[in-house]
Amino acid sequence: MNFETSFTSRGGMTSEPVSVESYISPEYFELERKRLFGRCWLVIGRVEELPNETDYIVRDVEICKAQVLVSRGRHGKISCFHNVCSHRANRIVLERTGSASAFVCGYHKWTYSLDGSLRGIPDSPSFFGIDKRDCGLKRIATEVWNGFIFINLDENPISLKDYLGEFGELLEGIHLPFSSTPIVYSAILNANWKAVMDGFSESYHVGAIHPNTIGDSFVSKINPYGRAHDMQFGGPHHRAIIVGNPDYVLPENRRVETLASSHIENMALSTTGNTASGANADEIAKMMTHHSVNMSKANGWVNDLNMIFPNFHIDLSTGGFWTHQFWPLAPGRTRWEVRLYAPIALSVRERFMQEHFTARFAEIVVEDLANTERQQAAMESGAKPFMALGDTEALIRHNLIHVDKWVRAETVAEAMEI
Amino acid sequence: MAVVLPNEFNELQRFVEYWAAPTAQRRFEIRCESDMAAITEFYDSVLARGEDILRYLEKFPLANMPPQAELLFKLLLSLAHVAMAVEIHGEPRVPHSPYPNGLRITQGPIPLG
Repeated sequence: MNFETSFTSRGGMTSEPVSVESYISPEYFELERKRLFGRCWLVIGRVEELPNETDYIVRDVEICKAQVLVSRGRHGKISCFHNVCSHRANRIVLERTGSASAFVCGYHKWTYSLDGSLRGIPDSPSFFGIDKRDCGLKRIATEVWNGFIFINLDENPISLKDYLGEFGELLEGIHLPFSSTPIVYSAILNANWKAVMDGFSESYHVGAIHPNTIGDSFVSKINPYGRAHDMQFGGPHHRAIIVGNPDYVLPENRRVETLASSHIENMALSTTGNTASGANADEIAKMMTHHSVNMSKANGWVNDLNMIFPNFHIDLSTGGFWTHQFWPLAPGRTRWEVRLYAPIALSVRERFMQEHFTARFAEIVVEDLANTERQQAAMESGAKPFMALGDTEALIRHNLIHVDKWVRAETVAEAMEI
Repeated sequence: MAVVLPNEFNELQRFVEYWAAPTAQRRFEIRCESDMAAITEFYDSVLARGEDILRYLEKFPLANMPPQAELLFKLLLSLAHVAMAVEIHGEPRVPHSPYPNGLRITQGPIPLG
């Protein structure tokens, strides 16, 4: 292919082999801890996870050893704090989710208001005239964009608006259907977080790794190697427009799948991507009319893959949207989470279809996860210090370039320079 | 007395104890841990009544089924998982994948997720 017209060159990248060092090196992982995850904006949840005043959720950012208490205070404002007591630095909230009018440390009952201020110290005269105003919870920078709650562990971060840049503006205001009711999968994998994310950043592997689960509905005569229809790069963020096989017909031996689709007139809804039902077509349509969706008007469009640097995917498809998040635990260990946002079924047939979709999606990710663990083990052998990346894998190259830029940059301003 | 399937689905009662599970995660595990003989027997027997089961269950509100119907519904939902083995892999699990594999469906579709 002509390099001058490739996605790789359009993204301002060269085409040489790429080092696998960042996937296996403990030293590199330490840099990612401090300079990447310690300074980037990170998605920690969605506003629907704490719908009411006084609701809270607790989430982990293991690589930074941080536990984040996300609280919706009076008047609905969302704040984030380190879940650490000002007294003897113990954990305060032990539940993962709940509702509380105050946060009380179990160790000695120091009590905090929902805005993080210290409300009460039992036997406070024994604390030598301590000033309660200095003893609030340690606040974490928090902003909300399109219903996603972001945090930044840097004490003086750039604004989320500047961080997301044009990419954020492009997706601003998109309607994300069924955002209160995700189907959730999680896995702990023996692989570097970037290796796991890479598996969801290119469609070159789909025909090979997923021949029977989604390969048939994806790979087509005109696109046998799963090339992306288009890619766009915006700062460290990026997106791809993915097409499927427009000629896919459900094989006759897929008898349960046929039974599970018995109520759907438009089979395109269920062949690839998320699952929804005809009854919710309006919700999907609202998302689809957003100017960012399938911008290049691809025939056979199945999804837009939007990556918010460094570890979050928002996929938009004919069935709604889903997200992936890749949390590093160690150089060769990752916590991976996916949320498929689906409507509450209104009928037995819809619910059965959702179960079938849920089961099939599990098979697809088992294929990916087993494959990625093999890759990690092979990388760690050191037999191949470099890997080749084709043009269909340009998003992987783009991500590695930006990760490297952040871990080498002394300042965030330097990391964000184009 | 333990809940049993509705009368017209008597012949499926023998599958209840093993296959009727309350969550998607549990249904996923049961299928992964079964051999192909058990999977095929369940698949053939339940699929043969698949449309009948759907028609029977459609008479009740999805989120508030009587216990007998809910039991039947759980069996039907397991059919979705079993189909992966029969219609896709031709073996109980993804070929060349270790098991247990660390994947969890922490929240399935509602209800019976």
